Amino acid sequence: VKHIRMISEGSRDTEDGSNDIRLIVYQDCERRGRQVLFDSKAIHKLDTSEPYTRPAPDVTMLGEMMFGSVSMSYKGSTLKIHHIRSPPQLMVSKVFSTRFGSSTSESTNTLQDSFESMSQTFPSHTSSIGCNDSVFPAHSNPVDMPSRGHSEDGDSGIARSASLSSLLATPLPSPGSSFSSGLSSSYQRRLLRSQATSLQHGPVPRWNTEEMFSLSDESCSSNPVMIQRKKIAISIIISLPEREEENHNFQEFFFSHFPLFESHMNKLKTAIERAMIVCRRIAESSQRVQVYLCRVMEALGEFRMTVWNLYMAPRISEPVWLSMISQSTERNLLCQRFLKEMSLLMEHGAKSQFLSALLTAVLTHHLAWVSTVMPSSMPPIKSACQKPASQTADLLAKSHPYNPLWAQLGDLYGALGSPVRVCRTVVVGRRRELVQRVLYVLSYFIRCSDLQEHVQPQEQMDNPASPCTSQTTDPTPEKPDPLKPTACVIGTSEKALNSDLGNAIPGTSVEQSHEILLTDTKSTSPSPSVESTAVRSEFTEMAQECFGEDSDSVGGGLEHILASQSPLLHRVQFHIGSPSETANDGQAGGLTGAGCGRGLDRKLHQRLLSDIRRNESSDSALGDSDDEETSAQELYVATEQNEYELPLPRQVQTNVNHFGRSLLGGYCPQYMPDFALHGISSDLRLKQCLMADLEHTVLHPALDEPVAEALCIVADTDRLSVQVVTSQKRVCEGGRLGRDVMVSNLVHTLITSVLQLYALNIASDFCVMHLEDRLQEVYFKSRSLAEYLRGQTRVPVKELGLALGIESSDIPLLAAVASTHSPYVAQILL
Amino acid sequence: MNALVALCHFCELHGPRTLFCTEAVHPPSPSPPQPGPAIPGDRDREADREGEGLTMRANSSATQGADMCEGCRSLPASHPGFVSVDGETGIRYLSHQHPRQPQLFSVVRQACVRSLSCEVCPGREGPIFFGDEQHGFVFSHTFFIKDSLARGFQRWYSIVVVAMDRIYLINSWPFLLRHLRLTIQSLQNTALKVFDSEQCVCPQRAVRMNSAFSPAVFPHQRSGNAARSLTSLTQHPNLWASLHSSFSWLLKACGSRLTEKLLEGAPTEDTLVLIERQTEQEEEMSGWDGAEGGVSNPQPSQSESVQAKDFQFDDGRQEDILGPKFKSLRHLRQVLGASDFRQLAWHVLMGNQVIWRGADPGLIQSAFNVLKALLPVGCVRAVPYSPHYEEAYRCNFLGLSPDVPIPAHVSSSGPTLLNKMEVALSNENLSVEVVSLCLLCLKEEWMNKVKVLFKFSKVDGRGKEDTQKVLALLGATGPGEEDNVRLLKFWMTGLSKLYKSHLMTAVRVGERTLSQ
Repeated sequence: VKHIRMISEGSRDTEDGSNDIRLIVYQDCERRGRQVLFDSKAIHKLDTSEPYTRPAPDVTMLGEMMFGSVSMSYKGSTLKIHHIRSPPQLMVSKVFSTRFGSSTSESTNTLQDSFESMSQTFPSHTSSIGCNDSVFPAHSNPVDMPSRGHSEDGDSGIARSASLSSLLATPLPSPGSSFSSGLSSSYQRRLLRSQATSLQHGPVPRWNTEEMFSLSDESCSSNPVMIQRKKIAISIIISLPEREEENHNFQEFFFSHFPLFESHMNKLKTAIERAMIVCRRIAESSQRVQVYLCRVMEALGEFRMTVWNLYMAPRISEPVWLSMISQSTERNLLCQRFLKEMSLLMEHGAKSQFLSALLTAVLTHHLAWVSTVMPSSMPPIKSACQKPASQTADLLAKSHPYNPLWAQLGDLYGALGSPVRVCRTVVVGRRRELVQRVLYVLSYFIRCSDLQEHVQPQEQMDNPASPCTSQTTDPTPEKPDPLKPTACVIGTSEKALNSDLGNAIPGTSVEQSHEILLTDTKSTSPSPSVESTAVRSEFTEMAQECFGEDSDSVGGGLEHILASQSPLLHRVQFHIGSPSETANDGQAGGLTGAGCGRGLDRKLHQRLLSDIRRNESSDSALGDSDDEETSAQELYVATEQNEYELPLPRQVQTNVNHFGRSLLGGYCPQYMPDFALHGISSDLRLKQCLMADLEHTVLHPALDEPVAEALCIVADTDRLSVQVVTSQKRVCEGGRLGRDVMVSNLVHTLITSVLQLYALNIASDFCVMHLEDRLQEVYFKSRSLAEYLRGQTRVPVKELGLALGIESSDIPLLAAVASTHSPYVAQILL
Repeated sequence: MNALVALCHFCELHGPRTLFCTEAVHPPSPSPPQPGPAIPGDRDREADREGEGLTMRANSSATQGADMCEGCRSLPASHPGFVSVDGETGIRYLSHQHPRQPQLFSVVRQACVRSLSCEVCPGREGPIFFGDEQHGFVFSHTFFIKDSLARGFQRWYSIVVVAMDRIYLINSWPFLLRHLRLTIQSLQNTALKVFDSEQCVCPQRAVRMNSAFSPAVFPHQRSGNAARSLTSLTQHPNLWASLHSSFSWLLKACGSRLTEKLLEGAPTEDTLVLIERQTEQEEEMSGWDGAEGGVSNPQPSQSESVQAKDFQFDDGRQEDILGPKFKSLRHLRQVLGASDFRQLAWHVLMGNQVIWRGADPGLIQSAFNVLKALLPVGCVRAVPYSPHYEEAYRCNFLGLSPDVPIPAHVSSSGPTLLNKMEVALSNENLSVEVVSLCLLCLKEEWMNKVKVLFKFSKVDGRGKEDTQKVLALLGATGPGEEDNVRLLKFWMTGLSKLYKSHLMTAVRVGERTLSQ
């Protein structure tokens, strides 16, 4: 009980007792119906004998949303996001099938029984009771979702998919082709992503599909029994700020950073699994519930804090690399400041080669710099010092769209080598200024692509999204000639597009309808995007203000800052729970009242379901679809002649809040697991959490692809040490976190000569160009190494020195760089 | 975006139906796509059928026509559909009632049923995201459209965006929501006008109150209009063409909403010099064309023929040469012997003129071809085979037949780079490819030193003392220093014009800002 109180204080209960983020664990059992297994809102006064109060009145509705009105027979995990309008909330749910060990089936029942025995405080709350007034029964038969190519193999866990062999079998083009085409691994990654997520192949089960909710404390190998009709849903409900602007800001952040939120949700799920398993061992029922609640609350506290930190932590206001590539006019000033900071740092840690060691580690693991030095075959457009933008990547993005945010996240974590490793860097030190200097210098070497957002015109009239406005055209020819080949180029014939609309809609006045539409937009549409982007940067500034160098509150740690009523808190505070029950009830009432669409009888519903299945089993079940199998390729060609061709409406740029801006952290009050780079004053919490975080990263990578190893570079500015901690080796000598970094001679001479040039008063712009040239030399050396290793099985390190003049201290760096363009290198040098 | 958009409707008679679907068809991939894992699935399907097989068979006997009504239909069966082509990328956006790609048919059907029959949205109008790895991921927005003849005076629709990339789709939530709302509001407002005018003419509430109520036939009672099409509800004859445009635009705009700026390294000096030469040559050619009106190609002057030969003097040409030839530097070294080769390479690196006499022009050219790999492209000026002597400032590689006289003034230890090159060349364990990459490394390394020296001595005009410091930090001092400096100075002549002019202007700009 004490424990819970402590955590809830840490997670800042708001005045009305509701929290920022609410957790609900729900069970949907075929026999017992739906049951709430946990609701943070229902945990009331922790120091009383009755920790659990009546469930909140909205849980029935929330249960419906989590599981759906018809449950699915699909066995993998399902992800859902709901937007609740009143009170404004976002709900993220993951629904899992359960898995039991053979000896311990039906294990949640123990917990359930315990709850039921405490019937006064925690009455069983099944949805069938709450849904009596619903026309639609909550428990109809599950919709059978046909399995396509879905292996039933119960024990195919993450362990298998993340195994090294499968990673090495990643379908990269042969090294020979990548060698000659000179395509960087960042290009390859993007192309493969586009192909892996293509609709054209239909749903292809991917690497992490069979995640289940495990109720067995035995290892997965013990032939687990699946109880198909029992599901567990874990839902996180985030209350959104009431103010439109704050609401908008938080949502933009939430959706663009969703992979990180999801990864933390997976961590929470694992903790809940463990809590259920552990509490089963406890015989006494009230104690069992206590232990369970305690553990889940602890995990929830962790989750709340992580999310809060992710949103609120200070960021590097001007990351060197991103600023240089986005503002070319400021280049000279940026170069000057960067070199000045770097030379100060070099002097500071001269004896221990601190900077050389740190940069060795960073260049070895945050590999996104490699593609930025690979020589282009294109002449520079503006000036010789400006690196050209990759035209191949640009073309790829247009013709084979992939998610640029995903690509950027991979860049920042350095996931460009083979096998795929992800890396973060944490700078520890009590001297704030020094740590910030290190962070600033590293923000030049930890690179990623820059993202820009294209903003659409907001007025409804001009927005191509509205079908019933001026965009409307009548391109259908009076006598259609389907055989006439058409060659319309998008965007060139916009005026021709806007053909006689007035004539097109007989009887109605176009102008009139426009007026109506326009006023409507003004009243209901969200704030214009242009404004919103400005707001984002404002937020960053606010965060800087709050956590900035001049803030006195920083010394007091996060809790202190949170307690102080900074203006930022008002802006982003997102209250949790539903303070106004009436509003929620109103919603539910509205649902049943307007439920005519759902008011179908069960028979019809059955028919629908079988319709689906019929369509699955034979593609020609619906009249309008073609009977013959058309491949996408054939289809592509075939469309030239048939359809009426319409020109595409035009798209009418700003900086967006992306990972490059959000994951390069500043000097933070506390260690955080998501940041590609951040600084902290003490490594206390780092030591507690790091190993678990790295293991979690391998199991549930936010990158949404299998990861072989997770690493963390820990640079200590007080002791001037640099260590690399890996998810693979747990034990380190002398209780140390990781192993020390061997300084690469290449890197050391590189920095030394750049800084000597700077000391000789050579223009800083030129020094930075020289730095890039020297990094390019490293890349060329890696090419020699890769070529030397081609076709070999094992090569002694000594031989490399003799044959290629490569020093042993440079081998880890060169091998890592080589693995980005020649994946086979890893196998030979492993 | 790698997604499709579909408009779905919950028909009072037939349940959830896909009305209209816009898909993006991409041009062939730059490299062949990975074939996905085999999709057997038959076993699973059989298993899923168990228990509900009877119902299914009973239903499948129903004809297609009976399963469709006006409300379930968008384009008439005879309609060929719509297509828009993105000229820049070649992506085609296709709209039909159902997706044309067979593998997407069930995916869309699934999304449609889940959005209108399974998933619960509070208030019944609004956005939901749902999905799994097996069936794809769906952003769905449900909404009502006014219909004066429908039960409850409204009909229920949804627009679904289906994709396999879960994260991408979630990242796009705010964008999709913003724009789908516009689409939906526009449909709703148009339908509301129609509804209002219909109610004016014939208020349905009164009609219904007066007519006898019979639950069994209720939906069929007004069978003439029982399920009205969306076109009829909006009185918008080009509704589907417009929706096609909206949906196509949405797919394109969502895919290009975020753009990446991804940088590459600056091109090497070799690349720049090659490009510059090519441009010069093109300019000269076009100059000729202009002067002569493009009618005839006059005999190029001698200087141009030199240059033209320069260009032929390039990789890939070697195969054309008949007779004996040098295949690689190593081959040349084996033939000449280590010490002679070293002598030769030394002179090449120092920029001394190398004259090769012989009766076989092919053999000489092959020797030059392998030797030029030792130098930056900008330092190579070759006359592979000439009937007379050419001065050293014109060329550093000169091939002559044995009888051509050489002027008297012509007839007359090593740098660090040479020593390193020799190590690679003499190591028989290294393949030709590795040796050429080692050479590339060495050349780029020294070219970077050349750049610094150029900046320092030619651009900034520093004194001797400072220059000595720079040479030290570049690792050019020590044994062979004199040769190193000589090599660096020679190689400076190989820098691209672009690079040199950039450094010069940068300084001038700097001076100007200082003086202001």
